Amino acid sequence: MTTPPNPQATPPAEAATSNIYDLGYRRYEGERLGRRDAVLALYRESLRGAFGLGRSTASKVGPAILIGIALVPALVQLIIAAVIPIEAELIRAEDYYGLITLVLALFCAVVAPDIVGRDQRNRSLTLYFSRAISRTDYALGKLAAMTTAMLAITLAPQVLLFAGNALGTQDFGGFVADEWTQIFPIVFTATIGSALIASIGVVVAAQTPQRAFATVGIIVAFVLPLFIASILVQEIGTEVLRPAVFISPLDLLDGTTVWLFGGTLEDSVADQAGFHPATYLAGCLVITTIAVGLLLRRYAKVQA
Amino acid sequence: MSVVQTSGLSKHYPGVRALDELTIEVQPGIVGLVGANGAGKSTLIKLLLGLIPPTAGEASVLGYDIATQGPLLRQHVGYMPEHDCLPLEMNATEFVAHMAQISGLPRTASRERAAETLRHAGLFEERYRAMAGYSTGMRQRAKLAQALVHDPELVFLDEPTNGLDPAGRDEMLDLVARTGRGLGISLIMATHLLGEIERVCDQLIVIDGGRLLHYGPLSEFTERTQTLDVEVAADADRLGERLRAHGLDVTVEGHHVLVSLDGAPPFDLIRDTVVELGLGLVRIQQRRRTLEDLFRLAPEVVAS
Repeated sequence: MTTPPNPQATPPAEAATSNIYDLGYRRYEGERLGRRDAVLALYRESLRGAFGLGRSTASKVGPAILIGIALVPALVQLIIAAVIPIEAELIRAEDYYGLITLVLALFCAVVAPDIVGRDQRNRSLTLYFSRAISRTDYALGKLAAMTTAMLAITLAPQVLLFAGNALGTQDFGGFVADEWTQIFPIVFTATIGSALIASIGVVVAAQTPQRAFATVGIIVAFVLPLFIASILVQEIGTEVLRPAVFISPLDLLDGTTVWLFGGTLEDSVADQAGFHPATYLAGCLVITTIAVGLLLRRYAKVQA
Repeated sequence: MSVVQTSGLSKHYPGVRALDELTIEVQPGIVGLVGANGAGKSTLIKLLLGLIPPTAGEASVLGYDIATQGPLLRQHVGYMPEHDCLPLEMNATEFVAHMAQISGLPRTASRERAAETLRHAGLFEERYRAMAGYSTGMRQRAKLAQALVHDPELVFLDEPTNGLDPAGRDEMLDLVARTGRGLGISLIMATHLLGEIERVCDQLIVIDGGRLLHYGPLSEFTERTQTLDVEVAADADRLGERLRAHGLDVTVEGHHVLVSLDGAPPFDLIRDTVVELGLGLVRIQQRRRTLEDLFRLAPEVVAS
């Protein structure tokens, strides 16, 4: 037998202190931050997505492995410096990109199709373009996220190497006093390189919603010019073919890096081509500008 | 104040006039945008959102010019596209909160609004599940939630019941009605299903072949006609003859005897005649014009 509830009964003590209110849907009276913050939100979410954060474990594996590989030379240097008690600098900063060139291209090929291809695959561009941002905002937000993601693989190993070398010496203060001039080229080349590779990767990936096509397209965009420039400049090497170095973004980045670190170009395509190193920096900037222009054009026209 | 105002708005594609010289001033409320497939409904919505530029003419939405104030206007407008547009790997809370931020809402407010809006849309229990596991009805609700999360003043719904079973369709229409009437948000709902319009809308825009056929309150379309519909179980012809003998203007259609009215309906006469003839009376009602009648009329008649 059940006892009917007594409306006069005193409610249990906890009921007096814990109530659940279903307020339902209410109108929003709060602050609206506008377009600038909307673009920042797009940038943050894209950057998180680049590393698979907030996504499945499978999405985290690719970027994590490639960042790990990019860090290997720096870690090897640091381990050797720690184990062998001599001051040996096996890897110098200006050589670093040379060691991980293909890893940079691969990282871009894995991440860029995720950053820009996902919204095309899901057909969610419409949702972005019908909100507070413009098509140009969207393109630049995505490019900024990709450039920042690239910094994880260009700047982080260099910083690790610099810090490790500094800590590995007997005289930390002396190392920093001698080598502080390296900081500008480290940051500058990482930024230039990241922007160059990101802009090419994003503009290629933006052409197709198909992930596989975008990945292959990006690898081809970096590796094919590398081979062509190598054959035309190094193997054939006639005067008229030397400008072929300017079709290869990674060779231009190599030439720029060595120049900014004050090193010498030895046996590289940029060295064999024989142009003034400043022209390689100009080449990087021109290619980046063209890629950004093509990206903006693509998003001005893409169907939403 | 009108929510949408257009003047000579046109969109032409090579060989197709998707929208032609549309001039209209839409008042707040739940507005049905009706027309056959390809009539120009989606084109009109995309023009008003600034997703595509018009070929000619001008328009403003909520007082904002579509050509010059796009990002500002879109902070106050929601859009639920017809096609699939959800990133299925994300859960509904993350997705809807992200969309709120892209509309310019602060981060904390976005998460609160996402929860409230998903509750309103009936997805509260499933809000942390990846949307890949959602049914078609749940995905439509998630699409509606992202259109409402930033508390727009006007929402464009493009075929919101597409792909839903009858129960899902009923639920979605109830949700649309609750959103429009309960929350005071104006809605413009494109559909080619007249029954849906009759159920939830209070105004109607009819377009056909890119041209405006009519705009006005729904009651204008469904007002009572001057025809009394008498449905009998059998022998409608005998009833028709007897009523004609009493001087009424009568037409017989199957089991229905349609009596043209000129003054007060002769209910008593009809009842007595039916009793005299010993017929089974199913119903007597004054006919209402249906939206189907509207499309049966020639465009010139409707426009007049």
